Amino acid sequence: MGTQLKKLLTAAVAAVPLLVGLGAVTAHADGEHFVFVSHAPDTDSWWNVIKNALKNAAADTKTTVDYRNPPTGDIADMARIIQQAAATNPDGIITTIADFDVLQSAIKDAIAKGIPVITVNSGTAEQSKQLGALMHIGQPEYDAGKGAGERAKAAGVTDFVCVNHYITNAASVERCQGYADGLGVPLGDHMVDSGQDPTGVYNKVKAYLTAHPGTNGILTLGPNAADPTIKLLRDTGETSKYNFITFDLSSDISQGIKDGIVESAIDQQPYLQGYLPVVLLTEYKRYGVLPANNINTGPGFVTKANIEMVEKLAGEYR
Amino acid sequence: MAENSTVVAAGRPADERLQKQSGLRKLLSRPELGAIAGTVLVFLFFGATAHGTGMFAADGIMNWITVTAQLTIIATGAALLMVGGEFDLSVGSMIGFAGMMIAIPTVYFGWPVWASVVFAFCGALLIGFLNGLIVVRTRLPSFIVTLASLYILRGMTIALSILFANRTIVSGVKNFAGDSIVVPLFSGKAFQGLFVWMANAGIIGKLPNGQPSVQGIPAVVIWAFVIALIGHIVLTRTRFGNWIFGAGGDANAARNVGVPVARVKITLFMVTAFCATVYATCQVMEFGSAAADRGVLKEFEAIIAAVIGGCLLTGGYGSVVGAFFGALIFGVVQMGILFTGAPNDWFQVFLGLMLLTAVLFNSYIRRRATGER
Amino acid sequence: MSEATNPSAATPLIEVRDLVKHFGPVVALNGVSMKVRPGEVLCLLGDNGAGKSTLIKTLSGVHKPTSGTFLVDGRPVSFSTPRDALDAGIATVYQDLAMVPLTSIARNFFMGREPMRGVGPFKFLDLAFAERVAREEMKKIGIDVRDPSQAVGTLSGGERQCVAIARAVYFGAKVLILDEPTSALGVAQTSMVLKYVHQVRARGLGVIFITHNVRHAYAVGNTFTVLNRGRTLGTYEKAAIGIEELQNLMAGDKELQLLSDDLGGMV
Repeated sequence: MGTQLKKLLTAAVAAVPLLVGLGAVTAHADGEHFVFVSHAPDTDSWWNVIKNALKNAAADTKTTVDYRNPPTGDIADMARIIQQAAATNPDGIITTIADFDVLQSAIKDAIAKGIPVITVNSGTAEQSKQLGALMHIGQPEYDAGKGAGERAKAAGVTDFVCVNHYITNAASVERCQGYADGLGVPLGDHMVDSGQDPTGVYNKVKAYLTAHPGTNGILTLGPNAADPTIKLLRDTGETSKYNFITFDLSSDISQGIKDGIVESAIDQQPYLQGYLPVVLLTEYKRYGVLPANNINTGPGFVTKANIEMVEKLAGEYR
Repeated sequence: MAENSTVVAAGRPADERLQKQSGLRKLLSRPELGAIAGTVLVFLFFGATAHGTGMFAADGIMNWITVTAQLTIIATGAALLMVGGEFDLSVGSMIGFAGMMIAIPTVYFGWPVWASVVFAFCGALLIGFLNGLIVVRTRLPSFIVTLASLYILRGMTIALSILFANRTIVSGVKNFAGDSIVVPLFSGKAFQGLFVWMANAGIIGKLPNGQPSVQGIPAVVIWAFVIALIGHIVLTRTRFGNWIFGAGGDANAARNVGVPVARVKITLFMVTAFCATVYATCQVMEFGSAAADRGVLKEFEAIIAAVIGGCLLTGGYGSVVGAFFGALIFGVVQMGILFTGAPNDWFQVFLGLMLLTAVLFNSYIRRRATGER
Repeated sequence: MSEATNPSAATPLIEVRDLVKHFGPVVALNGVSMKVRPGEVLCLLGDNGAGKSTLIKTLSGVHKPTSGTFLVDGRPVSFSTPRDALDAGIATVYQDLAMVPLTSIARNFFMGREPMRGVGPFKFLDLAFAERVAREEMKKIGIDVRDPSQAVGTLSGGERQCVAIARAVYFGAKVLILDEPTSALGVAQTSMVLKYVHQVRARGLGVIFITHNVRHAYAVGNTFTVLNRGRTLGTYEKAAIGIEELQNLMAGDKELQLLSDDLGGMV
């Protein structure tokens, strides 16, 4: 019993200063305090670029920025996090609109409390306006998908697969829909719910391509779907059979572009989605200045022509 | 033999184990005691670290109370089932599936929202019944059976939502619900007048537009309270409750004295499904949409809350009051870490450490109290 | 220890004749006959596999006999659940499976027959009554339970058996079937249980005492029925058989006798 108590106390004593220490460092620094709430589950590596942008922006503006997300990607949990953030009375909240219906009351409540809100990434400019946010910084998902679809059509694509690793996000389906519309082919069952696990993505795409030999276009919605698909094409040697367009960038995708496996990557330049709102909120808070319009950070297409510079920074700032 | 039998005469010194229980000790041996002690510890911790962050302002309090309430609803079901000797890992998937059972008929089939809600409850009870029936009939561990249900239900939620709606988020439930009684019943705010009064009296804060910073008690909190209360009374004060202890503590012994163990267990599986559906209904009515990824991993949160609350993983011991305090610990820790402003990357590490501390403390207290070895 | 009344006059509480039970191709009971009268302790003796468990489970309503006669109070019966047997006054106390260890003594005592108090749909457990009765009943047999709300797991094995027996008696059992009640107990605990069995018999209940310990059987039994390979090998009054003889019968014929000789009479 004595050792039990000792162990218990050791654990408690070890945990307490750790939490107190870290808590104090971030929450009570000088300058404005902002909270960035994303919808991404912990496993989504794409958000690393945004986290880096937040770090840079916080350092440049001498502010504090907390990054928050629902660990499992459950949007209902995200609404609670926004409510929690509002309760701490921050100088501003930056949030995605992953699901308008779910998040609207939490965001509106924060705004009613007098907290300035900028929306980024998921969601549309109209939704942002409807909520009463200052502005929206992002990439219109449907239009980006449509741009990719038109590009693929010009390259002669007639039949396609859309590899969706995040099917529970409404925006992801918008991307596939836009691509299908740009191509002029009904979406139908061309969308594969690949899940996030690399092995799962690999095998599901493999199964789809085997079952649909007429496929000549591939759209992946991010590195989680693209990286295993690139590996698959390398393994099967079908490196030039498909017109392969992906959303977003990673080091594998850059290499794929250089090797000609991936035709182009739709870059929504996430760095800007992290950096700009912090800077803009700071200036708004300090001097009351704000750009008049929403900001579209994408779509920009990264191809063989401009991959060199992008590649160096992929996964960190691009 | 004859000589020995004098030992057991009525005047024989009773076994010393029968004499130890003082009144205090009796109180200490209650399953929820450790969780209550853990709750105090957690509040002391956040009282020190999250002081002045808004965690204990009205809207901050309502934030973690709401999270606690949601968890209490499913933790009550999980606790009753665990006392009954079984697990249900399909609770999280059931939340997602029940949400779809409400949203799809309302939005795509044109059903009145109350009919969809009734349909969802019936569907959930049927699934709970099947879970229970399979466990009881096959005698497979419920861990395995409901793990299968976890995947089946989650998969069906995605497949059916794509099939009927061509998307995995079904929105607009509120537009179709109109002014149906179901909406305020599951997502309204109670005692609004009281909060306006409190804001005017300066007890709680006011928004710039003159509204109180908290408009009322969310319906989910009231549901949680009612469900936990009924769960507690059923477990401790009814015949069925006694059977739950029997079924979970030793199913054969209970069967031998005439307890319908199979019926008890099946009923409990239906109760967990019912609780998951209450959770889902509150969520759908509050947010106006159902999504295929709702409730992911909630089954573990429910089980963790029940375990922190003193339920034994082996069944036959536990309490609903304890599960409530377990949910409170989990809710307060989960949101409290965010209030302290700890870096996000470390969030789950902190969450795990705090829970481990709470559980260790809890089990230490319980061992001290019951003299368990 | 055998100062009992003359039991042979009364109608048997339970009587079975030529009981047969098949599990598919397996013949578990192949013609068992026995009876127990009020105020009588019938000891069922037999080695592992002799059919003792199947016989108990048939008597207590878990299994249905394939053929044979099963009389309770002289009337033929057919039980389909253990509950039917309980209602007919046949209570079975299993060695390990009598009590729910983590649950309180009072709750265990009334498990399956909870006392209720209240009006209409608002009926709740009468725990105060349950605790009082459990305490009183235990006191009657010399076990002082200070706190009936403490877990059964805190009791010793013998005390648990006694709680189970007291429960059966309290709920009006006419026949007690005790399945190896002493096999896992130490000497003092065993004598506690045997003493209580003796008390129960004195009250006029019939007891079927299953054991493979001949000493324990001989200490409390009036009548001994020996089973072997699903059959009754014979039934003997206490006066008609000695402990040695009983031991040999139960051990099954000559083999063990030979072994016993080889080992110099150690078995």
